[in-house]
Amino acid sequence: MEKVTLLIMLFDLLLGLGLLWLAWQLLESRNLFKAVVLFVAFGLLMALAWVRLDAPDVALAEAAIGAGLTGALLMAALAKLPSRDKSEPLADEKGHWLLRLALLLVAAGLGYVVHSLPESAPGLSAEIANNLASSGVNNPVTAVLLNFRGYDTLLELMVLMLALLGVWSLGIERSTREEPVGPVLTTLVQFLTPLLILVAAYLLWAGADAPGGAFQAGAVLAAAMVLLLLAGWPLQGLLTGVALRLMLVAGPATFVALAGLTLLDAQLLAYPPQHAGKLILLLEVAATLSIAVTLAALFLGYRPRTNKEPG
Amino acid sequence: MVPSSEIPWGALLILLPLAAAILCFVWPKLAVVTGVVTMLLLTLAVGGFAWQLQREGLYQHAVGGWETPLGIGLYGDGLSLLMLAMTVLVGLAITLYARSYFNQKQARVFWPLWLLLLAALNALFLSADIFNLYITLEMVGLAAVALVALKGGRDALNGAMRYLLATLLGSLTYLLGVALLYHSYGTVDLVLLAERIDNSPVVWAALGLMGAGLLLKTALFPLHFWLPAAHASAPAPISALLSALLVKASFYIFLRLWLVLFAPLGGDVALLLGLLGAVAILWGSWQALRQTRLKLLVAYSTVAQIGYLFVAFPLAAAAGAMLWNGVSYLMLSHALAKAAMFLAAGNLLLFGGHDRIAELDRAVQRLPISTAAFALAGVSIMGVPPSGGFIGKWLLLEAAIEQGYWLLAAVMVVGGLLASAYIFKVVGYAFTRSTATPEPQSIPMGMEWAALLLAIASILLGFTAPWVFALLGIGDPFGGGAP
Repeated sequence: MEKVTLLIMLFDLLLGLGLLWLAWQLLESRNLFKAVVLFVAFGLLMALAWVRLDAPDVALAEAAIGAGLTGALLMAALAKLPSRDKSEPLADEKGHWLLRLALLLVAAGLGYVVHSLPESAPGLSAEIANNLASSGVNNPVTAVLLNFRGYDTLLELMVLMLALLGVWSLGIERSTREEPVGPVLTTLVQFLTPLLILVAAYLLWAGADAPGGAFQAGAVLAAAMVLLLLAGWPLQGLLTGVALRLMLVAGPATFVALAGLTLLDAQLLAYPPQHAGKLILLLEVAATLSIAVTLAALFLGYRPRTNKEPG
Repeated sequence: MVPSSEIPWGALLILLPLAAAILCFVWPKLAVVTGVVTMLLLTLAVGGFAWQLQREGLYQHAVGGWETPLGIGLYGDGLSLLMLAMTVLVGLAITLYARSYFNQKQARVFWPLWLLLLAALNALFLSADIFNLYITLEMVGLAAVALVALKGGRDALNGAMRYLLATLLGSLTYLLGVALLYHSYGTVDLVLLAERIDNSPVVWAALGLMGAGLLLKTALFPLHFWLPAAHASAPAPISALLSALLVKASFYIFLRLWLVLFAPLGGDVALLLGLLGAVAILWGSWQALRQTRLKLLVAYSTVAQIGYLFVAFPLAAAAGAMLWNGVSYLMLSHALAKAAMFLAAGNLLLFGGHDRIAELDRAVQRLPISTAAFALAGVSIMGVPPSGGFIGKWLLLEAAIEQGYWLLAAVMVVGGLLASAYIFKVVGYAFTRSTATPEPQSIPMGMEWAALLLAIASILLGFTAPWVFALLGIGDPFGGGAP
């Protein structure tokens, strides 16, 4: 038994050091491509760290969004840079040692503070466990996200919408260059897409009782859409106009509508306990759709539109 | 029909603009109508909310029916009301202005962003939960960045990028502070935190992190580096709302945290804040005086005026609630005056095709309303009676002299003189006669009147102080009982 604990401690130590090393390397890298690859690796190790901290929900989100989609977004951004900017190493700026010293001091201070924290945090676990029965779900994380603190999640969905509006406000045009798609990618996509959709559906359904939920399911579904886009499927031609926009707002709109309805009963976002489970499922389905389409649209980078639509 | 006293005005202030933003996003053709109607409804809602507060006192609402610490609490007192009223007043003018300012392509993005920003600001001013405040801050920041980038082009993108990095850095340091506080005290509710907090390294770290993040967003010297570029490169209505509302939103959170959590700890911190405020006044005013472009001048003036808000911190311990009343008043009058200035500057820029101060020739004859708006707003910024700016600055000055902070008092006076200098510089050039003028563009009436009405409001504030102070006292936001 002792050997196992020792092994786990060694693993944790390696994980922690690996994270620090990766973070350092990716910040120091003068090559943007290398930095992005290191960032994805960092996200994956971070997901492992969350597993070790007994936070499988966060681990799933970190792997799907932190490593997966953010990585894809960074790669897509990199591909849009003119090749001159990519190959040229970033300028070695002088005077950064002062900044590094300051950061080191801040880190040391924070280290001291974290060290002084009490061993066991007076968190809200007990409170959550006591109220879980009336929340409509059995997974405490889902209960917090969609019920106890559903208002936060409503605003978070708006943040996602804002991010997309921000990208669209830049007015980026669709690039005319089309890359030929190889047979390997085509075959891979044919196998992976149905699988990813299945995984997303599972995560969405499982969220009520086990790790999972709208954010993770949406990210996986978005990954399927990104793959399809990469393989040359004309999703951006199929999803345009009002149909696209309705899918993008499905989650936020359902949430706001529910907030309005509950307000008629004088209590913002208070679900009747007997319907809470169904309402949460409804919210999660709508949110999954919106999150997936929003993330895929972010990857696309421009506003897909039909020829008739005004610029 | 529900009696109007039972209408949940507080929650409507958040939900209405959210629903309207979604509507605008899905059907861009309805955007302008939806925007204008929503703005009018929000004005009504703030009125209803004020009435409700006056009748029933403090507003508290447990979202989802879950009491704190499990759930999120909405919370509204006199200070929240002042901020909401400020948002709605500036919002009305910006809505009127933006109606004619943006072309169809920009309007498509502007209206949903603007409505989401309004919702986020209202949610921010009604939140008593430090994690919920983080989300509202993030919404406010992202919406603002997108709006700065709206004009397109190199300068706008550069300004937006700087602003994005500054605002994200600010939110993340703030969030780190939230995490530390939650770990130590098991709640993110401000009221509960105030009961549980003690003097420990964690609290100091949280003060440092949250404070630094919020001051960066508020652009207090020396963390103001992002502000001039973002403000100057943004479209006029966006510059107006950045200066008038956004820096105030993060200042509001800082003030709340200070009053509720940190004030008992930080005598020296208060002094440091006062010092930074004083330097901001001098540096910002001096830089404003040196600018040759109108929008940059107005932007540096904001750096200076933010300084005044922080000069209050070392004075507060002895001066009490009346001083904070002065600070709130200064916030409100600066918001109105500065928005008026940016809108007027936008008109001059649009009219002449440039904003070089030295070439603002004969603007007075061609755009009398906008020039008048700029000059009137200038009166409030200088702090000359009978303007709103005068009341706020007078209360600060009085406290500084009473407590023997002569240096701070001197800085405030010098700041006022420098402000007069840079305002007169603009007004002076606007009256000069010069020969060559490029073909001027016509300015829609709504855009001129939006600026003038705001400027007039900032002057009229000089007469409404007792009434506003009475409203501010609701729920006793500054402690120490009614003034």
